[in-house]
Amino acid sequence: MSFDHGILNLTNWVGNVMMPTMAVVFVILGILQFSKGRDSSHSLYGVFGCLCVSGLTRAIETFAAQRAFDDPDRFWMSIVTLVDWFGNVILPLYAGAHVALGAMRLAVHSQINPTAGWLRHFTTAALCMLVSGLLRLVEFFITNGTAGVR
Amino acid sequence: MPTPQILADVINILLLLAPTAAVVSLILAGINLRREGLGSIGAGGGFGKWMLWGAVFLTLTPLIGWFSSFGINTSLPAGTAASVNSSWMNGIETSISGFVMTFVVNRIVPTLAAFFVVRAILDASAGESPLLSVLSAMFLLSIGTTLTLMKSFNSGTQFATADVLDGLWNHLAGTILPTASALAIVGAIYNFAVKKPFFHLIAVALGMLSVTAIWKLVQAMVA
Repeated sequence: MSFDHGILNLTNWVGNVMMPTMAVVFVILGILQFSKGRDSSHSLYGVFGCLCVSGLTRAIETFAAQRAFDDPDRFWMSIVTLVDWFGNVILPLYAGAHVALGAMRLAVHSQINPTAGWLRHFTTAALCMLVSGLLRLVEFFITNGTAGVR
Repeated sequence: MPTPQILADVINILLLLAPTAAVVSLILAGINLRREGLGSIGAGGGFGKWMLWGAVFLTLTPLIGWFSSFGINTSLPAGTAASVNSSWMNGIETSISGFVMTFVVNRIVPTLAAFFVVRAILDASAGESPLLSVLSAMFLLSIGTTLTLMKSFNSGTQFATADVLDGLWNHLAGTILPTASALAIVGAIYNFAVKKPFFHLIAVALGMLSVTAIWKLVQAMVA
């Protein structure tokens, strides 16, 4: 019996035994929340998370392994890689989902007006695809701001 | 003037009892881990304090070697059972170490660990995290292995205490925390699903995988 084996087995048990079971719990919670008209998206995304613990762990390990184990910039680079992954992988997927949601809303509610829900979905999708561009734009404003008003 | 035999025997007994005292220190460290929570790991906390004493007891003979470098003559007895002349004195050491190993470590400590498992369930029922109680139970059950690990870090030099503490830090940073980072990810997923703050747990997971790098970063900052 050793402490590190205990931690390893605890982690394996939680990740491979309990979390898939928790996925079912979150499915049930999602259905109950949906039936009451509440937001159920967190529970349903949580289901994917519960079933992807190993994959997410490998992803976090990959983010943290961008530099050598004793490189002072390792933590910073791991955060940068995480942000890159979120901006360039997850947000485009999220954009695709919002395009589909916007199209569905547009099909169901035929009226076209600027405050309709479909516009919010398409705007969200566009913003998701423009994260880097928006950041560059803000940086441009700040850089010009430091040069003074001309 | 030679050291009187009674004094030499007492010193021998105390040196022989040092590993037993290290075991007791580890047990107290495990209890304090649960009693004081994560604060016990910090400076002045019970867990950190008793782990330090465990390392000191385990490296007592090399540590006393420092007195020679101060110019104080410390001709220690061998610190072995054979070097105790009085069988009565030898019996004291055998009885105490036997009591600690046979009764405390083999019987009381597993019961204490089992109590912490019950405590973990009670913690969960009170809405608290059961993790700390489970970790304390694991620590108590693995005291023998932890002691062997600490002995393997003992270099036997005057710096043995620091070497043991360095080895424990390396073991924590290189073996335990990378494994525990997966627990932080599980916590992040759970918190996300129940709409609680979760980003800090992702940062913790990345931090657990980058402990040495953060240590180098701090060193670079103060350089």
